[in-house]
Amino acid sequence: MTRQASWLDRLVERGTRQLARRTSRRGLLARAGALLVGASALPLLPVARGTEPAGGGNASRVPVPSDAGLEGPVGDPTRCEYWRHCAIDGFLCACCGGSQSTCPPGTEMSPITWIGTCRHPGDGKDYIISYNDCCGQALCMRCRCMRTEGERPVYWASKNNDLLWCFGTKSRAVHCSVAIVLGVASEA
Amino acid sequence: MSPLPSWLAAVLALLPGVAVAAEYGPAVHYALECQGCHRVDGQGTPGSVPALAGFAARFLAVPGGREYLVRVPGVAQAPLDDAAVAAVLEWMLRRFDPEHLPPDHQPYTPEEVGRLRRSPLTDVRGERARLVAAMDAVRGRGE
Repeated sequence: MTRQASWLDRLVERGTRQLARRTSRRGLLARAGALLVGASALPLLPVARGTEPAGGGNASRVPVPSDAGLEGPVGDPTRCEYWRHCAIDGFLCACCGGSQSTCPPGTEMSPITWIGTCRHPGDGKDYIISYNDCCGQALCMRCRCMRTEGERPVYWASKNNDLLWCFGTKSRAVHCSVAIVLGVASEA
Repeated sequence: MSPLPSWLAAVLALLPGVAVAAEYGPAVHYALECQGCHRVDGQGTPGSVPALAGFAARFLAVPGGREYLVRVPGVAQAPLDDAAVAAVLEWMLRRFDPEHLPPDHQPYTPEEVGRLRRSPLTDVRGERARLVAAMDAVRGRGE
């Protein structure tokens, strides 16, 4: 009995030590947290997508344009050349566990953003794009992208994308950035 | 405003984001110049960005409040001409705070906006606190 217990002890101890060597406590907590948040967000996903459709902004009631007909990088949300990214500065959330319009699990979308327009290469219309930072984790470090169409110098803060836009969030740490279509920039 | 010659419009259309802005209406200008901070519903973010919804038109009820709405940095420094700023202000008041809009409200004119935005506020918080105190005093007298 004693021999068996000590054999079990050694096995558990070895396993625990290996686990401790391979992982950090923060990493484990982050993954567990991401799993929890991700699981709890699943039933909400259709609602979350609802922030991007037509009329998410006040500008117009047209649908978000389809990317299906776009070939190459302009239609690929994981590429800097993606059409919505014409004025983004940050790591693309589509490469970081989120999408072009949703934050990765475990991060919080900043409600305060900077907003510009990008032209859709398919229909030639200018769309209003909101560049929201996803906050609460360290920099994603994947798919860095910096484009500056319509951007203004930093003294024009509301039109500058060098700023970290994690305002109004629990954490000021920036993880990645999304590009949400708010509507079409029509004459309305 | 007279329409642009077609060749000039074509040239300007090639410039991203700038020249075509003058063609937009107040809803798009709000989205492009204001909504990033004040949000789509005008609720702002407590502690960071003041709410427009249910509040902005209350400034019109106190002396200096009408001027304040033009002289705040976000309005005075918006990259819009005076007529566009006047239109966005009127749109914003009716969209987000119609219940506090005085019945005898006179719409902002481009000339008025042009004059006021050339004397921006140097103490925004102080002026806001003074005006909000005046609002509360008016409300207190009315009750």
